[in-house]
Amino acid sequence: MIEIQQVTKKFEGKKTSVTALKHVSLSVKEGQVVGLLGENGAGKTTLLRTIATLLEPTEGKVSVCGYDTKSSGNEVKKRIGVLFGGETGLYERLTARENLEYFAMLYGLSRHETKVRIDELARMFGMRDYLDRKVGGFSKGMRQKVAISRTLLHDPEIILFDEPTTGLDITSSNVFRQLVHQLKHKGKTIIFSSHIMEEVSMLCDSVAMMHMGELIYHGNIEDLYKSEGSRDLNYIFMSKLVRGNNHHAS
Amino acid sequence: MLLNIYLKEMKDSFRDRRTLLLTVFLPIIMMTGLTLFYENMVSDGEGEEYKLAVENSITPEVESIFVPFENISLLKSDNPEKTVESGEAQGALIVSSGFLNSIENGEDAKLTLIGDSFSQNSTILMGMVTEALDHYEKQIIANRLEAEGANLDLVHPFQVEQREISEEDPSIDLLAMLIPLILSIAIGVGSAPAAADLFAGEKEKKTMEALLMTPVNRATLLLSKWLTISSIGAIIGFVTLIVVSLEIFFLTEHLKKAVSFGDNMPIIISVCVLVIIVYAMFSASLLMLTSIIGKTVKEAQSYSSPIMMIAVFPVMITTGIGINEFGFHHFAIPVLNLFSLLKELLFGIVDYEHILVSLGSNLLLLAIVFIVCRILFLKDKWVMN
Repeated sequence: MIEIQQVTKKFEGKKTSVTALKHVSLSVKEGQVVGLLGENGAGKTTLLRTIATLLEPTEGKVSVCGYDTKSSGNEVKKRIGVLFGGETGLYERLTARENLEYFAMLYGLSRHETKVRIDELARMFGMRDYLDRKVGGFSKGMRQKVAISRTLLHDPEIILFDEPTTGLDITSSNVFRQLVHQLKHKGKTIIFSSHIMEEVSMLCDSVAMMHMGELIYHGNIEDLYKSEGSRDLNYIFMSKLVRGNNHHAS
Repeated sequence: MLLNIYLKEMKDSFRDRRTLLLTVFLPIIMMTGLTLFYENMVSDGEGEEYKLAVENSITPEVESIFVPFENISLLKSDNPEKTVESGEAQGALIVSSGFLNSIENGEDAKLTLIGDSFSQNSTILMGMVTEALDHYEKQIIANRLEAEGANLDLVHPFQVEQREISEEDPSIDLLAMLIPLILSIAIGVGSAPAAADLFAGEKEKKTMEALLMTPVNRATLLLSKWLTISSIGAIIGFVTLIVVSLEIFFLTEHLKKAVSFGDNMPIIISVCVLVIIVYAMFSASLLMLTSIIGKTVKEAQSYSSPIMMIAVFPVMITTGIGINEFGFHHFAIPVLNLFSLLKELLFGIVDYEHILVSLGSNLLLLAIVFIVCRILFLKDKWVMN
């Protein structure tokens, strides 16, 4: 489903160059839910952006559903839904419905499909009461629900979430977790980055750990627990980081 | 797709209060203020009353010098100079003692005129007082010559006949400066917020990422956004032109008299509309470039400020030039040529070669700027923060 082969991403500045990804290789199968773990600056967002075609790899290759992200970007975009954390990326002067209708049009949905899909998502996320209100007056939770709806509008096969629960209250976070469960049952492939280990251990089939632009672990979460002799993901992550740092030092 | 994106961008832009304010209210306020200011300027003090301070002891004979000048009102004072200093009068006239007797006896008589050349009102009054005194002086000379039995023609040895090349009302020159200046400023200022919002604003609010994640061609996005900025600029231009036309027609007398295009009216209006559209497109391209380069709305606005000042230079260049002095370069240099063209049109001249050269050169530069924008917009560095 997603094949990442030896991907390196460098950001060239006038005087300095930052290597955000170093020879990352990762394979995600259809219907898998992968938790992407790493400290700030580990390269999680860069990896997600590279999969999402927003960034071109400096070296290596990324393919999604058999399409190369570099040469067949639009085919990849049709099959992928992305939600980046922090800013929800909504038009404040438009209503929630207008925001969704606009993106449905960009994804090429027909008017009928758009109406059906918006009704479905509004019901799913309890947005009916504020669907026709301008986004500018929304709380963070309301915005996040609209943004998630936008991500799912075109019913993508692959969904990328970058720290989706950051800044959300407990209720909204729970709604999101339920959503991931639902999407998993529908056979969607999901990669999401998070700082919340509990969330990752609850939702994911496998984990990918990143440190300083390198993928230091990728595998089944149950296998990881067995090999590390612990079910404390936080502890496992920290010990992996220490080993990673020692490896870098040596 | 392009049309749908364009319509959404227009809807979003016009829901922004800044755009509405700058599109409708700013041109109306700016135009009203400037039209009335220029009307007042060309009225040349007509109907105004200027106060000339004179001593309490002034004689009715001296007072009678100023009777033909209805605008001059005499203000008697103990100290005329102080009266001017305090701002109660715009000028003062101090007449030496025995002024009339001295003139009658052929002796030296003295008048002191006090004014303030930093004040426009004082300058106008001084001009009128000097004219009245010149007239009075000539009358005295004529009387003296008549008493001597000399021919009165000696006072006027020759006559000067002054003719103008152009039969246009001189006020049209002011309009030729005023209209393009206001149009270009209104278009630049009015479309700048939308331009900043559509690229830098979208980067700042992360809507750009969401847009780029859709399977829409980046060139389509760029074109629809550019069309939005151009449309807003053109709408502002039309509103401004309509407002200025209505104000000249209903609120002014001198400027109204100056505008008479006769049979050329439809073609002049059509070319004006074309000039507005081309300038709006040109301005949109430059503003789009600044917005693509800017990472935030604030940064984009800083870069776009000089673009709004572009209009000042053509005004400075074309103001002192007569339409018969315009050369090819006045119509070949983008932006400057729009000012030259509008000036020519306001003088009632329709030269198709000038129109084609002017619009063509602007479109060429516009295309170059658009290509640069396209190159930048295709690079991740410029579309994502």
